[in-house]
Amino acid sequence: MGDKHQALKNGFLLISEIAVLLMQSGANTKRVIDNINRFSSVLGFKSYALISHKSIIITLKTENQSDQHSYTNVIQIPAYKINFYIVSEISRLSWIALEKQWSCKIMQQKIEVIKNQQLYSYALTAFFVSMAGASFAKLFGGDYRSMIISFIATLIGMIVAKQAQKYFLNPYLKTYLASLAASLVASYGIYLHFGDKAHIALATSVLFLVPGVPLINSFNDLYNNHILNGSVRFISGFMTVLFIGLGLITAMILFNTKL
Amino acid sequence: MTLELFPLLVNAFWSGLAALGFGILFKIPKRLMLTVFVLGFLAGFIKFYTLQLNWDIAIATFLAALSVGFLAVAFAKRVAKPTVVFMIPAIIPMIPGYFAYQVILNIQKFIFLHQSSTDFTYLNQIFYNGFMTLIILFAISIGVSLPMLILGKDMTKKLKE
Repeated sequence: MGDKHQALKNGFLLISEIAVLLMQSGANTKRVIDNINRFSSVLGFKSYALISHKSIIITLKTENQSDQHSYTNVIQIPAYKINFYIVSEISRLSWIALEKQWSCKIMQQKIEVIKNQQLYSYALTAFFVSMAGASFAKLFGGDYRSMIISFIATLIGMIVAKQAQKYFLNPYLKTYLASLAASLVASYGIYLHFGDKAHIALATSVLFLVPGVPLINSFNDLYNNHILNGSVRFISGFMTVLFIGLGLITAMILFNTKL
Repeated sequence: MTLELFPLLVNAFWSGLAALGFGILFKIPKRLMLTVFVLGFLAGFIKFYTLQLNWDIAIATFLAALSVGFLAVAFAKRVAKPTVVFMIPAIIPMIPGYFAYQVILNIQKFIFLHQSSTDFTYLNQIFYNGFMTLIILFAISIGVSLPMLILGKDMTKKLKE
């Protein structure tokens, strides 16, 4: 009896960690549930999960019907931080684990390795995201000058977002400050009359903040009948857009930008 | 009507680069960097090609998102990685940022520049750009999810085998 409960508890610790990691990293609800089921079937348990935006409830049950034990607990999801490496590697791991029937301990070690993987340095990320900002300026019909403004504005916005993440817990406040910083730089470009199409940079400098992942995941959840999670994701994406817009408007008022 | 290939390829290139930038922001696995660039490139190519044919921007976006969705499912089968991982970065360059920006710009004008009561230019602009933003977002999300809904179960079976 004691052994069984210890095994259930250890299984819960592993599976809840996986579920939290997946939710944090930007997986849709169906993927999280599929992964929970796969990992618990490797351990020989049945799983039932209730997933919401901020917390997850998981019940694990032993397969044996006549002498069934169960373990239920709640786990909180900390701040969301998109990381597709974790999503993709955990999904892959679940299939391998199913094939090779790994034990709880081995999976724990593998998850630990995936979790601590550092992929891209901050400088590289900042550079490529700023290049993306410059690309947007080109795609929206800008010239090379607006691309330069967009690059610099995105870079400054990225730095502010990084710093804000250290000091503030509220993600929307972070979005607001980053959007404000980026559009202030872009507004300064307009103020200096840097090229005829400087106003395009103002639109593209804040695009790196656009909540693409929550919005796409929201529709994905809605299609898969996870209506509650889908609406929550949509509203949180919408809130982010609102705060981006607020930052943009603040900068335009401060610079008295007339377009 | 002549189609200009060079500007088309240039735009597609920048679209691919934007996709790659977002891929790195979302920390895609390193092996997928080229795939994401190619998907972004193709999405940009299809979108700007259909725009050159004078098609509506919502339809152009829908077609581009649809092809990204199908290609993502095909790639996912090949490398055994979830579709979202390269799908989302590839479609982000198509997000209607410029329309959304126009909405905010016109809201600001509407509030701070007092118009005469017969002039509805700003209101017009707010509604036009607002609905454009919504329709394009909808086109992206449907276009990109449709292939997964059609082929989704098929893929999990294939992976199991």
